[in-house]
Amino acid sequence: MRITLQEDLDSINANLLEEGQLVLRALRGALNALREADAELADEVIAFDDEIDRRYISIEQGIEVLLARQTPVAVDLRLVLAMLHTNLHLERMADYCVTIAKLTKLVANVEPEPRMIQAFEEMGSRAEEMIRVALDAFVNRDLEEASSLVDLDELIDRANRRVVRQVLELGPDPARTEWGLRMIVVSRCLERIGDHAVDIGEQVAYLVTGEFREFTDASHPVERS
Amino acid sequence: MSGDTILNVAPIEIAQSRERRPVTAARETVFDIRNLSVSYGKTPAVKDVSFEIYRNMVTAIIGPSGCGKSTFIRTLNRMNDLVPSAKVEGDVLYHGQDLYASRVDPVQVRRKIGMVFQRPNPFPKSIFDNVAWGLRVLGMKDNLKDRVQHALEQAALWDDVRHRLKKSALGLSGGQQQRLCIARALAVEPEVLLMDEPASSLDPIATSRIEDLMHTLKRDYTIVIVTHNMQQAARVADLTAFFSLDVLPDGARTGLLVEYDATEKIFTQPSDKRTEDYVTGRFG
Ligand SMILES: Nc1ncnc2c1ncn2[C@@H]1O[C@H](COP(=O)(O)OP(=O)(O)OP(=O)(O)O)[C@@H](O)[C@H]1O
Ligand SMILES: [Mg+2]
Repeated sequence: MRITLQEDLDSINANLLEEGQLVLRALRGALNALREADAELADEVIAFDDEIDRRYISIEQGIEVLLARQTPVAVDLRLVLAMLHTNLHLERMADYCVTIAKLTKLVANVEPEPRMIQAFEEMGSRAEEMIRVALDAFVNRDLEEASSLVDLDELIDRANRRVVRQVLELGPDPARTEWGLRMIVVSRCLERIGDHAVDIGEQVAYLVTGEFREFTDASHPVERS
Repeated sequence: MSGDTILNVAPIEIAQSRERRPVTAARETVFDIRNLSVSYGKTPAVKDVSFEIYRNMVTAIIGPSGCGKSTFIRTLNRMNDLVPSAKVEGDVLYHGQDLYASRVDPVQVRRKIGMVFQRPNPFPKSIFDNVAWGLRVLGMKDNLKDRVQHALEQAALWDDVRHRLKKSALGLSGGQQQRLCIARALAVEPEVLLMDEPASSLDPIATSRIEDLMHTLKRDYTIVIVTHNMQQAARVADLTAFFSLDVLPDGARTGLLVEYDATEKIFTQPSDKRTEDYVTGRFG
């Protein structure tokens, strides 16, 4: 029953889930560094990205070799393609964590605005939840759980839109304005992490149904508040 | 300072896929083939082949028809001795010993280095007697039943035949017959198993069973397989040797070794253009 193929699929799958755990650690580190304006921790998050990149490359190479040697078909082929995409989404998420860490360092000497830090903490927790849901849906091939990511994403999107308003309310102090502008990018990073989690959910749906479709059509957005 | 750190969890080891095992990992050489040439009468079949075959690995020999794969693999257990016109030059060292030295007994060689052929070739005897045959010839008659059972288990055939051991081997399916031949080869406790196109007469399911079997057997044996089927080599082999045909100045054609490397390398980034053309199906 094709022992080698199964072993190789299992090994890449396990590698991918570990990569997901690494991304969760990077995100938690980035959020804590942001909250505490901790430049040292931000540096650690930036350095930690090398580890995630190594993991990313090892998965990519594993998939290359598997495709060349095992010629997977049907559900095996879909799994390999879904893993290939998911690997890329996780790596991109980690890149956003690095961006947050870099922005944190740039404004480490400015007193953060508590209300907004609170908002980021909330967005960050939602992003963490979405990553967990996406990985869980992947492991369990759970279409329903994967689809639930769309609603979770809507919450992050809303929070992201609120941030712009809050920055406008920061007042005329140039240091605060700069801080605020940086924070718009932070907010955007968290929002994009959520989008990548949704994309992983779409890969789960492809894996289960054999058909690829986007959960939401970005070029024809539904009316939003 | 928050004292926070994301590195307070032990870093997870990067899990290398098995195939990425560094090439420097200790490998025990079983065969050291040096400048080996074989000709039939005056006609060369393979010329100047040198490479090493390692213990507990599956080594595949691939290449176009007539490039000398069968000729080559037969030199590894002196099967070419049985072809009067065959002339072997160069060295085949088996654990450092010259396999062709005059004091070496070819029968002992074939006991240590077993062979399975393209067509399953069971004797017209019972299943039990097929496996016991080599044991009886070699006088390995103690625990005969246990030895036969063990060999059949190793060949993943025991469950299929345990209740019909006294029945004729010719009543088995092609895939079962081939596994019987593998059991027959394993019964005399060889160290190396040579297989010349062992699955080419089998259907996909039977082929898949033979391939899984190789994967299991390599823990205990060193396996060399000749195959026409590139995908089979890609699936089962740790190392792959690509043989091709060369035209000599006098117009004669002879087989030669073009490239020998880790299988994943051969199938993702071969070093030689001829290998690339062959594995991508662009060859002649
Ligand atoms: N017993 C023999 N006597 C004379 N010539 C032989 C003999 N066996 C093989 N040859 C020749 O040696 C060359 C190599 O043959 P060999 O059977 O080793 O090739 P191969 O790579 O195994 O081919 P295939 O993939 O078709 O099995 C061929 O030209 C063949 O005709
Ligand atoms: Mg042949």
